[in-house]
Amino acid sequence: MVDVKIEEPEDNFTGGGGPKKSFLWSGLFVLLVIVAIVAVYFLSGFFLVGPDQVGLIKRFGKYTNTVGPGLGYHLPFPFESVVVVDTSNLRKQEIGFRTVRTGTYQTLANESLMLTGDGNIVSVEMVIQYYVGDPAKLAFNIVDDGDIVKFTTESVLREEVASSTIDSILTTERDTISIRTAERVQAELERLGTGILVKNVFLQEVAPPKQVIAAFDDVNSAKQDKEKLIYEAEKYKNDLIPKAEGEAAQLTRVAEGYAQERILNAEGEADRFLAILQEYEKAAEVTRTRMYLETLAKVLGEASKTVVLDQSSVLKLLDLEGSER
Amino acid sequence: MKYKFIIPIAIVVIVAAVVLPSFFFILDETEQAVVLRFGEIRESITEAGLYTKTPFIDSVRKFDKRIQIYDVDAERIYSRDKKTILTDTFALWRIVDPRSFVETMKSEQIALTRIDDIVYSHVRNTFGKLDYDDIISGQRTDVLDEITKLAANDMKDFGIEIISVRVKRADLPDENRNAVFERMKSERMQEASLIRAEGNREAQKLRAEADKEAQIMMATAQKEADIIIGMGDAQALTIYADAYNRDPDFYEFMKRLEVYEETLADANYILGPAMDFIDKFSRGE
Repeated sequence: MVDVKIEEPEDNFTGGGGPKKSFLWSGLFVLLVIVAIVAVYFLSGFFLVGPDQVGLIKRFGKYTNTVGPGLGYHLPFPFESVVVVDTSNLRKQEIGFRTVRTGTYQTLANESLMLTGDGNIVSVEMVIQYYVGDPAKLAFNIVDDGDIVKFTTESVLREEVASSTIDSILTTERDTISIRTAERVQAELERLGTGILVKNVFLQEVAPPKQVIAAFDDVNSAKQDKEKLIYEAEKYKNDLIPKAEGEAAQLTRVAEGYAQERILNAEGEADRFLAILQEYEKAAEVTRTRMYLETLAKVLGEASKTVVLDQSSVLKLLDLEGSER
Repeated sequence: MKYKFIIPIAIVVIVAAVVLPSFFFILDETEQAVVLRFGEIRESITEAGLYTKTPFIDSVRKFDKRIQIYDVDAERIYSRDKKTILTDTFALWRIVDPRSFVETMKSEQIALTRIDDIVYSHVRNTFGKLDYDDIISGQRTDVLDEITKLAANDMKDFGIEIISVRVKRADLPDENRNAVFERMKSERMQEASLIRAEGNREAQKLRAEADKEAQIMMATAQKEADIIIGMGDAQALTIYADAYNRDPDFYEFMKRLEVYEETLADANYILGPAMDFIDKFSRGE
């Protein structure tokens, strides 16, 4: 049993026709391998360019032409190669802050605090958006677009801030600064031949540094206080003047009433007098006596009275009256 | 047997693939190179393309030819008026002459150190001749162009072009910065109290103006009222006078009777014989 087992592989190894057949086989195999290698080699020239990309074809390292989106082909290494560059994507750099994640920002004090022309310090946060205008220049002239854009923008922005005053930066100059920064950064990037086009420069938060923000806010509240004080004074005026007008009118009307009353009273009394006079003139003596006696009756009629018939007792009576009190 | 030729071909191809590259080298668009033979520079190439060399004897050293940034560390510098400024500069540079570069620099690292030294010393020297306000102000482009020119001139022999030197930041050291904050605070406080004072002033003006107007209005009305009253009184007097003048004697008599009636009604009377009235009464007339 043991012998048989050993014999079997030997038999197979030296089997008739074996070597010739395996040589043919290996020759075909090598050919196939070579064909496969050649095929893979030539297939390696295919490349895909995305819809927002371009491909830069280089022949022996030298740039020859640009191809658009789609499936492209270049001669395999070492003859040709391709560099694919994103072109339509907006790229951006943040100055003075970083987006931690969408909607969450972190201010970088060292980067955002800038000296103004009037010796103050202001905190400026800016975003610059740019895109690739000339892919070949971008790919072959600069090492990294991000740093060049960021550093250039930062230096230009600081110069712009330094040539303005804090009050105008916080208010009127905002737009001027972003426009001028965009122009100057663009000019610098063009001069360097970066192939970068600046799309937008946005000033984000422009504010006094946090150390002094309370004092700045107080100025605003002082402005509101001022408005309020003036408003209240105007209200006071608007209350007072109509009231005074009313009182003045009242004063005049009262006076007019009084005058009218006086005149009417006078006319009434005059008419009464004239009427009596008219009657009196008809029988002067009698009327006079009658009027006198009537008045006497009225006055003496109600009053308490002591009649002294003797002239001498008048004084005694007066003494009596005096001691009683 | 007909596949037998394949193996020699394969061997030839493989040998060619190994040997041929040592006869050629490819320079990319981003690169430039020098060809060295036993350490001696034979050729300096800045154009991309396919080039030949002698195998095993020549070696090729490639360098980047793109613009690179060197960020100089922030340094304290002193202005002519002895103020401290923290400046953070960066330089844009590239290797323009690989031959000079290889001759003078061992590596890019050494080149960076050299750039650092030269840029920093020119920044310090140039700014040191300027007053603080001139350095801080936005008009530093000319100064930087000057620094760029000086640095470029110094680096020229090393095969390096300094394209520009710019100030990324020119700031105050922390201690001076706090002083500025304090000043800004007190400035704003002054402004706020000034605004409030102005508000008080304006308000007071308005109130006083209103008070004045009201007072004038009342006085005018009082004056008119007095005139009206006077005219009324005068007219009444005229009416009285006109009527009573018709018979002054009778008026007096009548008025006296009225006065008696009004004033003497409550009195105690002692009626004596001196009165005609009593005399007549006592005598029974």
